[in-house]
Amino acid sequence: MIRFEQVSKVYSGGFQALQKVDFHLGKGEMAYLTGHSGAGKSTLLKLISVMERPSDGRVFFNNQDVSRIRRSQIPFVRRRIGMIFQDYHLISTRSVFDNVALPLVIDGYRHQDIRRRVSAALDKVGLHGKDRYFPPMLSGGEQQRVGIARAIVNKPSLLLADEPTGNLDTELSMEILRLFESFNRVGVSVLIATHDTGLIDSSRYRTLTLHAGRMLTGEAR
Amino acid sequence: MSKTGPKHSGYRRLAMYWVDHLRQLFSSLGELWRTPLSSLMTIAVLGVSLALPASFYVLLKNAESVSQHWQSKAQISLYLQQGVTEQQLAGLKQGLSEMDELETVTYISPEQGLNEFREAAGFAQALSLLADNPLPAVFILNLSATGRQPQAAEALLQQLQAQPLVAEARLDMAWLARLSSIVELLRQVVVGLAVLLLVGVLLVVSNTLRLNILNSRREIEIMKLVGATDGFIQRPFLYVGLWYGIIGSMLAWWLTLVMVFWLSHKVSVLAALYNSDFRLFGLDWSESLLLLLTGTLLSLLASGFAVRRHIRAIEPG
Repeated sequence: MIRFEQVSKVYSGGFQALQKVDFHLGKGEMAYLTGHSGAGKSTLLKLISVMERPSDGRVFFNNQDVSRIRRSQIPFVRRRIGMIFQDYHLISTRSVFDNVALPLVIDGYRHQDIRRRVSAALDKVGLHGKDRYFPPMLSGGEQQRVGIARAIVNKPSLLLADEPTGNLDTELSMEILRLFESFNRVGVSVLIATHDTGLIDSSRYRTLTLHAGRMLTGEAR
Repeated sequence: MSKTGPKHSGYRRLAMYWVDHLRQLFSSLGELWRTPLSSLMTIAVLGVSLALPASFYVLLKNAESVSQHWQSKAQISLYLQQGVTEQQLAGLKQGLSEMDELETVTYISPEQGLNEFREAAGFAQALSLLADNPLPAVFILNLSATGRQPQAAEALLQQLQAQPLVAEARLDMAWLARLSSIVELLRQVVVGLAVLLLVGVLLVVSNTLRLNILNSRREIEIMKLVGATDGFIQRPFLYVGLWYGIIGSMLAWWLTLVMVFWLSHKVSVLAALYNSDFRLFGLDWSESLLLLLTGTLLSLLASGFAVRRHIRAIEPG
């Protein structure tokens, strides 16, 4: 699903975020990406969603080299990836429904399909009946679940989560984690960047660890 | 458009495409209300900036029609030598009436001239002192449309001057030339001002859209994150620009109408003083349409530039 080959990233200021990173995430696999802050977790995720381009090496997503694609192709890569962020990235002036529907509207789905899929996605994250609320009216955990509903609404084959539980307490974090597991069970690949060690210890998934831009471990447990 | 959801037939998709655009067009009207003050200001600036050249144009159009009106009164006075015989006179008259450049040829004999002079000037007393009539015979020539062109009139004058029986041919061209060059100058001024004001329209619209885009920066970032193309994000902003153009040029049209209405009363009072039934012409249908189209297209053009540039510049991360 994702393959990094000798990927390095140097930001324009000269900061080396990643150094010769190699790793592979299989189809339908779920893994954690950990490391201290500044270790390069976010950079690694941004390379997959083409928010950044590598300085060296190649990044493959679905066997497509996304490190070299044209600018105009980027949206189409992103449509196949569900992304979840620490600060939710919701549009606060639009309702929960509109937020979740956004990827479908962008992709030109029909109205009936949009309605059906959005309510299915909201059901799945346990927000049934909240579609008319606006994000600021919801708690942090609920907002994060709106973000997750938006990420899965167009059935992507890959979920990328950047510190998804960073703003949530342990109980809520576990709920979110169980959600990811349920998506993974139906075949979605999941990569979760987190420094929440409690979250990792309690799980049975592979952990990729970054330290100062280098990948320390890559083996399955 | 990108690949669409699975179950669309060709016709349906095409219909959906237009329905979609129409819906976005009208929902973007609502966007205008999200920033009512800036929308209103932009539309007002647009209206005024377009109304000014439109009003100048109306003035120019009327000035041209007035000057044409005066030019149609262009005359040549042909003073003949003393002692021209009846026969020579008849021959000359015949020759003149066959010329294309002339519309009417009127003969005024020295006696007629004297009578007119006597009645008009009240010089009866003084004139009666004269032993004989000092006035020459005169032909008053009204120029036709072809003869009215400044160059043609000048050439005609030369030609008539060369006639053996003619003592003097006089065409008061100077004021006609002055008038037409004033109108020409006015036209240049109007064109210059119009260009400046239209550039102003471009700048105002593109600046407003730039601010709109910067205000929705976060929204645009999020849309890009979930896979929106630049084109998709641009569309609502373009529609807003389109509305600015449509409403702004409608306002301009209305302002021009008010201006003409306001002036036309004063103008007809003035015209009455000159014994003229001159009336101020406003914009006709095709000119109004042109105004509307110009405003709309300019605004769309400006939004196109602004939107393309500024939306491209926003990247999530």
